[in-house]
Amino acid sequence: MILPVLLPFIIAIFIPFLSKWKEKFHTGIVVTIVPLIIFIYFASFFAGGFSAVTKTYNWVPSLNMNLVFHLDGLSLLFVLLISGIGTLVALYSIYYLHTTENLGNFYVYFLIFMGSMLGLVLSDNVYALYSFWEFTSLSSFLLIGFWNHKHASRYGALKSMLITVFGGLSLLGALVFMHSITGTTSIQQMLADSEAILNSEFFPLILILLLLGAFTKSAQFPFHIWLPDAMEAPTPVSAYLHSATMVKAGLFLVARFSPMLSSSEWFFIIVSSFGILTLCWGSYMAVRQTDLKGILAFSTISQLGMIMAMLGFGTKVAVFAAMFHILNHATFKGSLFMVAGIVDHETGTRDIRKLGGLMNYLPMTATLAMFGVFSMAGFPLPFLNGFYSKEMFFLSSLDLSGQGDFASIVASLVPYLAVFGSIFTFVYSMYFFFGTFRGRANLGKLPKKPHEAPVGMLISPAILVLLVVIIGLFPSFINEPFISHAATAVYGADASKDIYFWHGFNLPLIMSLTVVAFGTILALTIPRWSSVYSYVPGVLSLNKAYDFTVDKSVSFSSKLTRGYMNGSLALYMKLILGAIILVSFAFFFLTDGFAIDTSQLASVTTIELIVAVTMAIAALGTIFTNNRIAAILILGVVGYGLSMLFIIYRAPDLALTQLIIETVTVALFLLVFYHLPSLNSRGESKPAKISNWIISIGFGLLVTTVAISSHSSKWFDSISSYFVENSYKLGGGDNIVNVILVDMRGLDTIFEITVLGLAAMAIYSLIKIKNKKEE
Amino acid sequence: MEIVMSVLAGLLFMTGVYNLLQKQLLRIVIGTALISHGAHLTILTMGKLKDGAAPILTDGVENYTDPLPQALILTSIVISFGVTSLLLVLAYRASKINHTDNMEKLRGNDYE
Amino acid sequence: MSNLAILPILLPFLAGVLVAFFHKNLIASRIFSIIATVIHLALTIFIFMSVQESGTYVLEVGGWEAPFGIVIVADPLSALLTMTTAVVATAAVIYAPKSLSRIQEEFYFYSFFFLLIAGVNGAFLTGDLFNLFVFFEVLLMASYGLIVLGNGKAQLRESLKYILINLFSSMLFVTTISFLYSVIGTVNMAQAAERVGEVEQQGVLTVIGILLFFVFATKAAVFPLYYWLPSSYTVPNAVVSALFGALLTKVGVYSILRTFTLIFNYEVDLTHTLFIYLAMFTMIFGVIGALSTNNVKLIIAYNVIPAVGFMLMGIGIFTETSIAGSIYYLVHDMIIKAVLFLLIGAVTYAAGTSDLKKMGGLIHHYPVLGWMFFLSTLVLAGIPPFSGFIGKLLLLQGGLNQEEILIVIVALISSLGILFSMIRIFIGGFWGEADIMDLPKQKPSLAAMTWPVGILLSLSILLGVGAEMFYPAVSSIAEYVMDPELYIESVLKE
Repeated sequence: MILPVLLPFIIAIFIPFLSKWKEKFHTGIVVTIVPLIIFIYFASFFAGGFSAVTKTYNWVPSLNMNLVFHLDGLSLLFVLLISGIGTLVALYSIYYLHTTENLGNFYVYFLIFMGSMLGLVLSDNVYALYSFWEFTSLSSFLLIGFWNHKHASRYGALKSMLITVFGGLSLLGALVFMHSITGTTSIQQMLADSEAILNSEFFPLILILLLLGAFTKSAQFPFHIWLPDAMEAPTPVSAYLHSATMVKAGLFLVARFSPMLSSSEWFFIIVSSFGILTLCWGSYMAVRQTDLKGILAFSTISQLGMIMAMLGFGTKVAVFAAMFHILNHATFKGSLFMVAGIVDHETGTRDIRKLGGLMNYLPMTATLAMFGVFSMAGFPLPFLNGFYSKEMFFLSSLDLSGQGDFASIVASLVPYLAVFGSIFTFVYSMYFFFGTFRGRANLGKLPKKPHEAPVGMLISPAILVLLVVIIGLFPSFINEPFISHAATAVYGADASKDIYFWHGFNLPLIMSLTVVAFGTILALTIPRWSSVYSYVPGVLSLNKAYDFTVDKSVSFSSKLTRGYMNGSLALYMKLILGAIILVSFAFFFLTDGFAIDTSQLASVTTIELIVAVTMAIAALGTIFTNNRIAAILILGVVGYGLSMLFIIYRAPDLALTQLIIETVTVALFLLVFYHLPSLNSRGESKPAKISNWIISIGFGLLVTTVAISSHSSKWFDSISSYFVENSYKLGGGDNIVNVILVDMRGLDTIFEITVLGLAAMAIYSLIKIKNKKEE
Repeated sequence: MEIVMSVLAGLLFMTGVYNLLQKQLLRIVIGTALISHGAHLTILTMGKLKDGAAPILTDGVENYTDPLPQALILTSIVISFGVTSLLLVLAYRASKINHTDNMEKLRGNDYE
Repeated sequence: MSNLAILPILLPFLAGVLVAFFHKNLIASRIFSIIATVIHLALTIFIFMSVQESGTYVLEVGGWEAPFGIVIVADPLSALLTMTTAVVATAAVIYAPKSLSRIQEEFYFYSFFFLLIAGVNGAFLTGDLFNLFVFFEVLLMASYGLIVLGNGKAQLRESLKYILINLFSSMLFVTTISFLYSVIGTVNMAQAAERVGEVEQQGVLTVIGILLFFVFATKAAVFPLYYWLPSSYTVPNAVVSALFGALLTKVGVYSILRTFTLIFNYEVDLTHTLFIYLAMFTMIFGVIGALSTNNVKLIIAYNVIPAVGFMLMGIGIFTETSIAGSIYYLVHDMIIKAVLFLLIGAVTYAAGTSDLKKMGGLIHHYPVLGWMFFLSTLVLAGIPPFSGFIGKLLLLQGGLNQEEILIVIVALISSLGILFSMIRIFIGGFWGEADIMDLPKQKPSLAAMTWPVGILLSLSILLGVGAEMFYPAVSSIAEYVMDPELYIESVLKE
């Protein structure tokens, strides 16, 4: 089973070479064959009764990250959709995309998407699933940005990426959580162990994270805003990714985990409410659009909301209807996108305000559109598949019984909202069809003179429309081998169901008729009530919220970062020192680290005190003097004082070295600063002065405190006794310090010299390389 | 005495840090020099002070001051010297090219 | 055999010294440098392999037994990091001639480069705290040489800050070593671990540990000590930035990892909890920084910071899984940061500017560069199956196993921020109309720059896709690191 998943990736490698001959041989021809082979391969699973198959291919077994493909009813429904629609879209794209386009890139993205999507729906391993999930987002990003010379393309690509990757990351959080609780990376095993997850104290968080992933991907309110902007992608992509397949990955995810999640009351509340809300909002907003693809985008949003809601209901009918509608939606929406593409291709515009009356010019296209549109509207006719699933949707919305206050409120509201959303679904369907194909043609406004599309372009939508009709007439044709299996996999128990056209004159039918009646009225009177959009949503749009967030995240970051990363060394040092002082003293306090032990101290002698006091005064003097020569000389006093201390504390070598180095340093100081401006008063502001003092006193205090505490906690003998004992014996020298330096710690010395050498080279290059400005 | 030396080291660090927080390059470099002195004094103090003779083997002497801190200080002094020299030359070059010895005027947001 | 352990230090050291003698002869310098880095690479691979097979090599330098002399300890962790260093170094040295000006190459670039490597390897390999200080100074001094190389106005300005802050932290370092020496009477890391363990890190020891952490955290660019990083990684030449971004902060991270798994691991509730919070802020502020600018090189420089947050997160969580995550992330980050700095060097070279607002449409002219950049963005953002994901996944798992929810959520959001900051470069710089920029008619060839980066990038991808080849090793290293007795025994041979 790994081959069909990898096949698109493998072919993708060859596409760049193949596309070199695109003028003679359209790259899409090869690409069409790939999903066809995959479709045939997976369709063969029907033969001889279907049962779930699992295949494992090792990838990173040490991390439990393997390619485990689990083909059950749910994934079978999806793989057939992906490969089936994929074939039709690839075929359609041959006519849609001219060979002057960058076909190589297009088909590489296309194939990567297809492979990832197949992998996504087949993966039983959560990490493999996540990998494929992100790859669908990325290929979607690249496809939306296919015409990246357009600003809108770049904008839409970024938007979709930010929102879907945000969802992907929260999905990852949920998956890692579940892995951490159950100890398995297999979804099937997680489902088997669902009690552990449901009873975990983190279950609410897991649920939210998982649903964030699903809602962003499946364009649920309020994350749907990326989908309309994704319409910048070439139309075959919109038909494929942003309608039939990728946006259903979120539904897939919810369906996949619903055997576990559906027992949670909050799952019902959240998923149903967001689904219904999305249905209503999407269908309501669709009528406002003027771009054909915009209408279809919002229509997709609303349909996804409807399916999501049904998954939230979680009843047997609802789950069945959800699976059924996933298929139906792919057929009619796919064909409608292709129709929109044809209209765009043939007239040069997708603006519905310029279109109209195209029925006479594109009769075939119009006929196909008609079937699609009425199926989408759920018009009660026996040859339209959309009606069946819509009817089941109504049915399922009626038998909800929520436990708990909140759930029962949701349950009681659902039927009304379902009707409301469906009325607008009806309205935008009519708006789409009549606005484009009926009414008066206004050829003057069109960039091109319209004529019927080439036959090749009509094949794919025609096949889809044929499916609409076949499924409508013979629902059992797809029910038993297909939908029932999928529904059973999702419901967790047998969920097969018969599909009838006539259910008797019951409540769902009344709801359907209500929809048609009110829908017709509203559709006829759109201009009269369209002003409502200036109140809701009015100026408060979610897009603005998104733009605001993105812009602000950049401008806020700039402001904040420029605020403290201002290049001022003093500020940096203050922040660094402040942190060190605060944290260290806090740890002193927390660990009770202070110690003072006066029993083993060396005696205090007058001469030491004099030296120490002199050094202290000199050190303070460097702060207060405004004379550069004086400052350098006072610094010298500190250095010479230090060498005095070295003598007193029996470190003759140090004293000597310090003396020499201090002298050289002072000379260097004088030499360098002879060329620089003289010191003037420091010109610190008062607050700066105070904070400087606080920081420096704080740090001095810290050093003193740690020094005293360390000195008072000599718990171990020093390793130095070894040096004293062995200096002569093994090192052959009387001067222990020297022996340590050149022998016992010789490595230090070698690299200490290296440091000097490096400094010399750096100084040499500093002096020698002339700056452009100086020349 | 160790306590006095600890306080002195703290004071050297304090004055060093205070100078480091100033604007003028000269003061800043002086600050680093003071901090080095403070560090070296601390290392010395952390061995035992005056606890025995200078660490040069002499007949009849049993007790020597801890030689290891001295060795470490020696290494550190030399390294500090290298860094300070580089810093001085760099300070000179940087202030010449940028026409100022005021660190606050050397903030800069251009990177070319 | 244990003499092998010091070769990753000695070889670049000698190479650095030798190449200084013919620094004016560029052809010879280049050939010599490439040969030396390749030998160095082979050597480190060999050491890593044999350490995997036969255990840690401990070299007592000059034959002075531990804990009295200096020990060089090539344990699996050190060997892994020196090997990664060698990989980065090889790519950098091949890339260098195209990127550097003649004068930069002539003025000891190769010497600085080799001594930087020697210092970095020394820091990874040494088993002695004071010796670690010395190697820090070597690598810092080499980095000073590299950062000022060319004497640009901004370079001099920023290197001044860089040197001052590092000088301060070095002085704090020696001071802290002396504190530790006073309490436990040793500077040998294994013995320090043993002795700190004996008194269960009581009294002032935790404070000393924290001071040491701050020293390393300054090098590693942990919040709130990273201020020096963005500018000083932006001003030097791309190849220098790549070396800095790949190696310098990682030495700091390594040192934290080493000291706080080996020595200071008795007050985990305090110290390591602090790390988790600092890691969190490091990620947040790093990402905010990366989003704050339109200078592409600065964006990459800021992206060094959140990565440090990720690694520190693993150290803070302190389980085998999370440590494995940190180590995996460390190796991944060394490679991908080199890739990014080198790539962005090529981008600014091709575009003639580093201002994102002035760029656009580059992918139409430089598709290979564009796709390499896109891929490395995915690698950096931790998109599976690339290398960033493996480390991130382990860190998330470690975090959730310990119920550290907050840091996990911050890590996830940071990933999005990292992706956003990088994809801005891709969208703004590479996408757009082909003729939006005024590029020269004769496009300069970038092949000499892209192919060494390509190798690094492939390696980075392999590190993710082929995780099965690497993870078992990393996992066993994490197990080893979490059991400090193993290190102590191999050094002190008790």
